[in-house]
Amino acid sequence: MNRRDFLRTTSLTAVSTAVLGSAAFTDSFGAELVDNPPPKKSFDEALKEITGGKAVSDSDKVKLIAPEIAENGAVVPVTVEVELPIEQVKAIHILADKNHNAKTMSVYFTPANGKAYISTRIRLAETMNVVAVAQLADGSFIKAQKPVKVTIGGCG
Amino acid sequence: MNISRRDLFHLAAIAGLSVSSKDVFAKLNEVNPETFFEFKPVGTVTLLHICDLHAHLKPLYWREPSTLLSAKELIGTPGFLCGKAFMQYYGIKPNTIRAYFDTYIGFEELAKKYGKMGGVAYIKSLVNRIKAERGADKVLFMDSGDTWQGTAVGLFTQGKAIVDAQNALGIDIMVGHWEYTYGKDRVLELVNKHLKAEFISQNVADDMWGDLIFKPYTIREVGGVKVAVIGNSFPYTPIANPKEFTEGWTFGIQPERLQKYVDEVKSKGADIVVLLSHDGFTLDQALAKMVKGIDVILSGHTHDPAPKPVIVDNTIIVIAGSHGKYLGRLDLEVKNKKITNFAFKLYPVASNFIKPDKEVENLVQELYKPYEKQLSEVIGKTQTILYKRDTFYSTFDRVIMDAIKEETDCEIVFNPGYRWGTTVLPGDNITVDDVYSMTAITYPDVYRFELTGQQIKNLLEDIADNVFNSNPLYQQGGDMSRTLGLDYEIKITAPTGKRISNIKVNGKDLDPNRNYVVASWGGNLYKAGKNAKKFRPVYDITIDYIKRVKVVNPPLKSNVKIADIGCGCPTEEGKCL
Repeated sequence: MNRRDFLRTTSLTAVSTAVLGSAAFTDSFGAELVDNPPPKKSFDEALKEITGGKAVSDSDKVKLIAPEIAENGAVVPVTVEVELPIEQVKAIHILADKNHNAKTMSVYFTPANGKAYISTRIRLAETMNVVAVAQLADGSFIKAQKPVKVTIGGCG
Repeated sequence: MNISRRDLFHLAAIAGLSVSSKDVFAKLNEVNPETFFEFKPVGTVTLLHICDLHAHLKPLYWREPSTLLSAKELIGTPGFLCGKAFMQYYGIKPNTIRAYFDTYIGFEELAKKYGKMGGVAYIKSLVNRIKAERGADKVLFMDSGDTWQGTAVGLFTQGKAIVDAQNALGIDIMVGHWEYTYGKDRVLELVNKHLKAEFISQNVADDMWGDLIFKPYTIREVGGVKVAVIGNSFPYTPIANPKEFTEGWTFGIQPERLQKYVDEVKSKGADIVVLLSHDGFTLDQALAKMVKGIDVILSGHTHDPAPKPVIVDNTIIVIAGSHGKYLGRLDLEVKNKKITNFAFKLYPVASNFIKPDKEVENLVQELYKPYEKQLSEVIGKTQTILYKRDTFYSTFDRVIMDAIKEETDCEIVFNPGYRWGTTVLPGDNITVDDVYSMTAITYPDVYRFELTGQQIKNLLEDIADNVFNSNPLYQQGGDMSRTLGLDYEIKITAPTGKRISNIKVNGKDLDPNRNYVVASWGGNLYKAGKNAKKFRPVYDITIDYIKRVKVVNPPLKSNVKIADIGCGCPTEEGKCL
């Protein structure tokens, strides 16, 4: 039995574990969204909410993996890894700069998580930048970003 | 300065230079184009390569583009060279067989002189000769995909006839793109039960778990050298073609995963690393800068007949045209896990000058037998050359669009900008087979639907950005959709969303608020529209139209005006020759 077969026969709990990876705690997603659509939140507002206005520098320690062109804008796979010891990483925040609510996901870590790594799927309403912000234990912020194109289709 | 390939490569390797200057290649172009079967072997490894056969088992005419435009940064670079700019870049003389194979210039006259191109029996004959000269143990034969689809015989057998031909050719390894449009179950059936070659891809995975569908790589011993071959299928398969064919599978370029496999095969003792790709020539040039440790990329998808390799950092990148017109051969000398010398050639598969392999010729006849009567039926004649390719407009597409317009009674027709098809010479008969060679897809239905003027404008901008994006990673490697009833002006070098202007529908300015009746095939355009109605398959509509009009005479002039570039085949800096 290979990994695929194994996972397919296991419970939904195993499924969510696999998808969320080492994430300890997440916010910004849940059933309440269905009845109460989130208010519009621009990228600048969302970023400020996370950083409290502190500067965020680009860093190659933040590895952001996302497709260049989305196969389906509703479920775009995004993986973020911060290549620093887990003790130095407090949280990873994912933002989508042109979404109605740019703040997409925040994942908080404890040293028990082993490494600062998350893999998930996010919705992109149109072509935009995906931004991964890492909140470090020393109170600073570093980021990586990647443009992801959402297109109706090929050149036919 | 007299620079040899060997010096050049060492130079590039030592300095980490990207060598693609036309001056250097002009000096390297010591092979007389007329002596097209000569080859001075090098080292102990011969990689043979075909790409984008598009199911053409028999020889055909195939005219290269007379317009091949790109983003500003890429104009006049390998991947975006045609006509005189191509000849100047590669040092090709007019009226030679290379000029006939590689460019549109003088095509109609040269076609009479040099005859049809490609055909698997002719490719096989070249392969036999090379294997006999080199020793079969020194030869690895690879196929970059877009092999199973593109003709009636491919479609009617759901790819099986072409797999039979690949087996007879002796293809060792392949990757895919249009293969997937037969549906994932059929792909797995052909791969697992019929195909003798290994089908590999590091970038096709289960979309829930990320488990790979195919082996990511294979390691083969060739001429005493351990050659690792990693596969990349077309990264944008579920975007350029309907998603439902590969439901549950995800693609993408996956450079990070590719790097992981490059490192893995090296740790397993591979002497050299080859990427067998269907990424497209330009994308692969960008990818070679992102991933370290790939020695050779055998590219495909964009159909470029590049007679010389492009060297990016330490990676040799080659591509072998399309439609079976060429057999690529890359000889390598490998010492201490390094390529120390190489030689490359694209053999033109000039069927008039090659004796076909008898066995494969018989196989092709056998494969065609059930359909021969239907496909050879003459349905009309053409006065002008019927061809596919070019960035905005081509004559065979115009005939198809005329047929669709008449059938659906619409205002505007959209026709896909695929780069495969066929060419019919002026005065020649058009057969049923020719029409299928332009339209043989597994989703052939024509749709009529309504779009607002604003939607049409957005759509054109969206398609233009897939073709003219300055970052090769965001290009899908096709040409612009063709239009009938809709003319426009394009500024190719303008930013995304601001390229298209002066849109006219049947002579009148496009009204963003009005609904227009549009027809299209070969894409998912209709899903964006209202009141969609399904019509007959495009090949049936086109065959009946040609039968009815008997003689076609489409205009040669494009309906798209290019605002910022003065010719179809510019050189670097956008200059016209």
